[in-house]
Amino acid sequence: MIRLEHVSKAYRTRNGRKIVLDDANATFEASHNFGILGVNGAGKSTLIRLLAGSELPDRGAVRRSGRVSFPLGFGGTFHGALSGRENAAFIARIYGAAMRPTIGYVEDFAELGEYFEMPVNTYSAGMRARLAFAACLAIDFDLYLIDEVTEVGDQRFRRKCAEAFRARMAHSDIILVTHNPQTLRQYCDRGAILANGALSLYEDIGAALTQHHRMIQETA
Amino acid sequence: MIESIAKVRDNLELSSDAAGLERAIAAGDLDSCRAVLHECAVSDSDRAAFYCRLGEAFFYRDQTEAALECARSAFELQPQRESIADFCAWLFSNCGHHNEAAAAYERLIVCRPGWAAGHRHASGSFAAAGDIDRAIQHAARASEIEPGRLEFAVHAGCLLAGIGLHQDAIGYFSRAAEIEPDDPLVLRHLSGCLLAADNRELALDLALRAHRLAPSDRPTAHHATELLLRCDCCAEAAQLISAALAADASDTIGYRLLSAAEMLCGRTEEALDAIDRALARAPAEAEYHLHRGNLFYRLARFEEAAAAFDRAALLDPDNPATKRSQLTVYFDSGRYREALAVGGALIRDAPDNEEYARAVLRVLNRRFETLDGDYVLLGERSAPPIRIARSPSGFWSAAQTQWRVIHALIIRETRTRFGDSTLGYGWALLEPILHILMLSLVFAVLMHGRPPIGTQFFIFYYTGIIPYHIFVHTSSSMTYAVTANGSLLQLPLVGTFDVILARGLLELVTDILVAVILLAGFGAIGLGLLPHDFSGVSAAVATVWLLGCGFGFLNAVVNAFFKSWDKIWAQLTRILYFCSGIFYVPGMMPDWIRDMLAWNPVLQAVDWFRASFFVDYAPHWLDRSYLAAIAGLVLLAGLTLERILRRRLSEPL
Repeated sequence: MIRLEHVSKAYRTRNGRKIVLDDANATFEASHNFGILGVNGAGKSTLIRLLAGSELPDRGAVRRSGRVSFPLGFGGTFHGALSGRENAAFIARIYGAAMRPTIGYVEDFAELGEYFEMPVNTYSAGMRARLAFAACLAIDFDLYLIDEVTEVGDQRFRRKCAEAFRARMAHSDIILVTHNPQTLRQYCDRGAILANGALSLYEDIGAALTQHHRMIQETA
Repeated sequence: MIESIAKVRDNLELSSDAAGLERAIAAGDLDSCRAVLHECAVSDSDRAAFYCRLGEAFFYRDQTEAALECARSAFELQPQRESIADFCAWLFSNCGHHNEAAAAYERLIVCRPGWAAGHRHASGSFAAAGDIDRAIQHAARASEIEPGRLEFAVHAGCLLAGIGLHQDAIGYFSRAAEIEPDDPLVLRHLSGCLLAADNRELALDLALRAHRLAPSDRPTAHHATELLLRCDCCAEAAQLISAALAADASDTIGYRLLSAAEMLCGRTEEALDAIDRALARAPAEAEYHLHRGNLFYRLARFEEAAAAFDRAALLDPDNPATKRSQLTVYFDSGRYREALAVGGALIRDAPDNEEYARAVLRVLNRRFETLDGDYVLLGERSAPPIRIARSPSGFWSAAQTQWRVIHALIIRETRTRFGDSTLGYGWALLEPILHILMLSLVFAVLMHGRPPIGTQFFIFYYTGIIPYHIFVHTSSSMTYAVTANGSLLQLPLVGTFDVILARGLLELVTDILVAVILLAGFGAIGLGLLPHDFSGVSAAVATVWLLGCGFGFLNAVVNAFFKSWDKIWAQLTRILYFCSGIFYVPGMMPDWIRDMLAWNPVLQAVDWFRASFFVDYAPHWLDRSYLAAIAGLVLLAGLTLERILRRRLSEPL
């Protein structure tokens, strides 16, 4: 479960302040999977990082219970000069997971072959994403935060990821950002829309999708 | 009418019936005759003859139904009579009643065995009535009786070709070709059958011969063109049909064929021109629009292609090929919604076509931004397990987590501490050794063999270099902590404080190890000297490290916002090298310089270290509490700055 209490977050950009959240209150309850919707630039990735704790709010507090994953996205959480193995070891160490089984799991799951021993800098975006998936799944989180990387790698790898998540979802939740309504409907039962600094939660992902669609059409 | 019937009846009563009927027919009173004929007292053969005469008269009056009725009555009365059957066959076939005509012809054939023309007629009637099997039987018989008749052979061949019996048809057409070797029609038919039987070369040969014999005949020209196209002779096909079109410019199908030939020759623009001409003559031909759309598609003119396909779909809504083309062009021009709609219709119309299904799937995948349709439907979570919310982690577990993170970061830093240097950790040891050796060489000459304190240059310089390095290494290494670990900072557990402190701790551990190893090394070469006040040395090291950490935190934060700070800091540390009493003691300086240098906390640290190391060194300017206060203040400033700007530091770079 993650609770946002009077959370405000803004960026300074070249075009002035960009408000992501303005005094937002919301509770992402446990035992539900949330799909986060919002137009490009609304700050979905920032929201995910706030939920994870990778970023800190300007005001207010983000309270978490249970183990919340690092944000699984295209923005790397790996050190470029270290190999895949060293990065996996790092993740295992900071989360206090058993080293050998964790690294073994990542090595098996990511299927990087010789690249597992090479610096992450030499990886393609797809290989990085695979490593990220593997590392994220290697740790037993209560809540997984996934940012736009549901479609990665070839078909077989995606199926493997989906199956791993399905197994994991028996006792873990996910909060998912994606533009793919099909994926949202598959994974999520509830929805949230981030727009103009406000975060509104919906009991039903279908209602959230409909509302989001309407909002896009109104602005278009 | 009733009056007229009564009159005829009166007449009949007056005279013999036959004579009365003759009179009535001659008077043109056909309807009345027909009404009473069945009850007249005449023989069946006369009655049938009368029916025939009445039928003929009705036919010429254009009263077809009445004529047919009469003929039927006659045929029912005396079907076995040749003249009756002859008349009925004639009338039925002229009125388009081919079934009855065929029956009449069969009757006639019984009467006239070996009558080839009769078989031919019967065959025609059966064919027209749709009974192809019996039509073929009669056609074969006709041609059998008169094998030399061209028309019979052609007729039989056409019937056989029509139901796909091309081999049998080839026999009859070959016979026809023997009878008349230069008949273009026969050659064309034969060519068509040969093509169907997969004898392309001969088929092409014959088709071209037929075209040469009848260059102005449209079907023959079309046939020859088609055969050339099928034999991949696109250029020849285009040439042939162009020539034919030059003579006959109104040939719509010719333009369609020309378009196909030009397209296959790769001349899409010319093909487009040809199909436009064809469409100018037959604007409602769906297939032409479809073809035109495909040509536009080849030219990547998707909008026009889509328009052409739409037109074709409008004219012929049931053609799956049109929908397939629409699907492709919508898909390629990004109109996914329309592509999906037409794809749905396509699947509905042709549910068993695998190629269509694949194409629609591809569109679906693109629509949903996935590849290969790999949707794994996740099972419904029927009863989501209720988890007890974990209580917020206490101080102890938080401290454990923090230590795990810093520990992991220290290990991570050891991997890259010296980058790609082949010396690796050797450099950590080599750097102070080089400094000490260089200073020893220079000053051993200058100072005539005696250091300011103690007896060994190595030990003296060692006591200067070690505290200085602890300070410089710590503060400089921490400078890059945030910028070098940007991606790791995306991990929620990893904070800026952790990455900065980890670097400082690594430097402390490294430099202490180096100090111990060097001291052991000096002992090994007989220059051994142990510090007289061990706790003083440790306190000095700890304090100078804390001072380094304080500056390190400041550097790390400043460097994250002011990228050139590391260069300035590097220059400052170089100046510090000369101001910190590393290779001299402040006591050697004039008082005013010494008093100024005494404000330098690093110099204070070096002297603290030396005062604890050498038993007889007790500088009066050394103020340990001053150094501790400065270290504390700077550390406080550094930690405060990090705490204030932590939020900005955690934003992705």
